Amino acid sequence: MVAVGDAATGGTPPVAARPSVKRDPLLQRIRTGVRANEHHLWGWGGRISAAAPFVALVLTVLVLAFKAWPAVKVNGAHFLVGTDWKPGSTYGAVAYTNGVPHPVGVSYGAWPVIAGTLESSGIALLIALPISVGAAFALTERLPRWIAEILRYAIEILAGVPSVLIGLWGALTLGPLLANDVYPFIASHVPDVPGFSYLKGPVGHGEGLLTSGMVLALMIIPIIASTTRTLFAQVPPLPKEGGEALGMTDWEVGRRITIPWVRSGIIGATVLGLGRAIGETIAVAMVSGSLLATISPNVYGTMGTIAATLVTQLDSAFVDGTGFEVRTLAELAVVLVLVLLIVNILARLIIRRTGNLSAPLGVGL
Amino acid sequence: MSEGDQRRAGEQVRTSPAENHGEREIDHVLEALDPDRERPHDVVLSKDLSLSFGDNRILSGVNIEFRRGTITALIGPTGCGKSTFLRTLNRMNDKVSGFRYEGDVTLEGASIWGPDQNLLHLRRRVGMVFQRPNPFPMSIGDNVVAGVKAHQIAKGKQLDVVAEERLRQVGLWDHVKDRLNDSPFRLSGGQQQLLCLARALAVGPEVLLLDEPTSALDPISTELVETLLRKLTPALTLIIVTHNLGQARRTSDNTMFLYGGKLVEHGPTEELFERPRDPSTEHYVTGRMG
Ligand SMILES: Nc1ncnc2c1ncn2[C@@H]1O[C@H](COP(=O)(O)OP(=O)(O)OP(=O)(O)O)[C@@H](O)[C@H]1O
Ligand SMILES: [Mg+2]
Repeated sequence: MVAVGDAATGGTPPVAARPSVKRDPLLQRIRTGVRANEHHLWGWGGRISAAAPFVALVLTVLVLAFKAWPAVKVNGAHFLVGTDWKPGSTYGAVAYTNGVPHPVGVSYGAWPVIAGTLESSGIALLIALPISVGAAFALTERLPRWIAEILRYAIEILAGVPSVLIGLWGALTLGPLLANDVYPFIASHVPDVPGFSYLKGPVGHGEGLLTSGMVLALMIIPIIASTTRTLFAQVPPLPKEGGEALGMTDWEVGRRITIPWVRSGIIGATVLGLGRAIGETIAVAMVSGSLLATISPNVYGTMGTIAATLVTQLDSAFVDGTGFEVRTLAELAVVLVLVLLIVNILARLIIRRTGNLSAPLGVGL
Repeated sequence: MSEGDQRRAGEQVRTSPAENHGEREIDHVLEALDPDRERPHDVVLSKDLSLSFGDNRILSGVNIEFRRGTITALIGPTGCGKSTFLRTLNRMNDKVSGFRYEGDVTLEGASIWGPDQNLLHLRRRVGMVFQRPNPFPMSIGDNVVAGVKAHQIAKGKQLDVVAEERLRQVGLWDHVKDRLNDSPFRLSGGQQQLLCLARALAVGPEVLLLDEPTSALDPISTELVETLLRKLTPALTLIIVTHNLGQARRTSDNTMFLYGGKLVEHGPTEELFERPRDPSTEHYVTGRMG
């Protein structure tokens, strides 16, 4: 970029003017976009900075896995399917399983928080995806420009609000409001159809699964909406006009042309948001009830997630003189990474299946 | 009578535009059989139409009628307002900011801007094909029936029938019958344009507007499209914008020449090209302008 600008204005003497370069130096620099002697540096600098996050991630996971390995040997498969969370007797005798020391009576089953993680982020996604795509559509296609501009800033600001503030607001304001005025209404108006029992029953006091899902939705809407807005803005006008000229309504043009045109991008943005929801810690810890061994029987009940558990249990884990509880938390962290990995792989499979029909890159029209 | 019959009748009547002058017995017979004979001959009528964007007047006082079942070529130098005029006819300009019109356009006697006119229905009756192919991001088969679905003309199995019929009509069926579920973006540019034509035809329009439909195509695809267009009359009324004067001569019955913000001249194609009345028309069609 810089080199192109230089070349265009003739700012610096052309480096390529050396006799060894045969082609027109100006053209050469425009073609490659960098000066000949910058090429080398750029290549290595680029490679290192591109690899850095990946290396950091691998190192982190390796350290965690190393730390967690003894816990894996003791907890076994029970860790993934069990529904209890017993740190054992911290001041009692030390027992050994497979050569690993741990307090007597430990039994760690993380299924409730794994399920809680999937449920709360699933609910967040169900709420956030339609709202985000709808908002992005309104911003690019429907609203007058000045209103759209204001809303765009509002969304960006929302994306930057620290999650502890959203969590606090969720715990103090949103939760009680929902529990008093909204949840009872939903619970009493849901039809008596088998699949809907999930929405019935006691509505609690505002801490729990649905409140967590809503708070998470609030946090990921800006992520999905702003990315999707950028994608929509890039959809060329010609296919959209084609739809209008066929007599499609704006709604049909959006649903059948604009959204599918950028489908794989929207899936990517969704995964980004979902990853944030799965990994979100403090806000969920504040509004979920932060339970360890409880799967909520309905959508209103208190529960916990992997990430919230990690932050709420770390303090007490250090009390365990054998270090076993800390190792168990490390194992939980590895599970979190695996969940994120699986979500990403699933998204990739979806993109591969549907991407087939979306517009190829570079179809500008 | 199905459209297919009309098309065949059309081929008998119109071997080539040049032979249209001869009066033949069969013409009278066919005319008597024509289901459209009770309807007005002029499908689309532009009355004193003036178009502007903001303060920029693009065209003024355009008076012209488009006869049922004919092909009209719309020619003129670049920027003279051909696309603007064409896009006005199915109200694609209405949402363009600053667009204003004076005068009126009627479709079968009713103003296209009239209070009883349903915009979506109008666009079903007046279809459009664009300068560059614009397939939708859905399978080839779904592309053909996208409009059919939107207007709920057919559903279920019928959709497959419509898709096949229209793809056959544009001569694409044999190429794509084994990959109806594939992406349209892997078709060649010419095939994509034929697909868009099939899509426009699928909703059964009365009038088809084509804005330089072959300008992105190679000569062979262009010939394919031109042949197809001739087969579409007299069931349809076509208005085609083109920079290719040869194409205008080959395909159209009538030609209109826009220049300097006005409809300078219009008439039977042969006459306009051979004996232009206006000097600027003569300049343009003899290649000394534009
Ligand atoms: N959306 C718009 N806003 C303002 N002015 C416009 C708009 N669209 C077209 N114009 C102007 O209207 C005039 C006619 O444009 P139009 O596209 O109809 O020309 P054309 O005859 O189709 O040209 P071409 O042969 O290059 O396609 C041009 O001067 C153009 O600048
Ligand atoms: Mg044009």
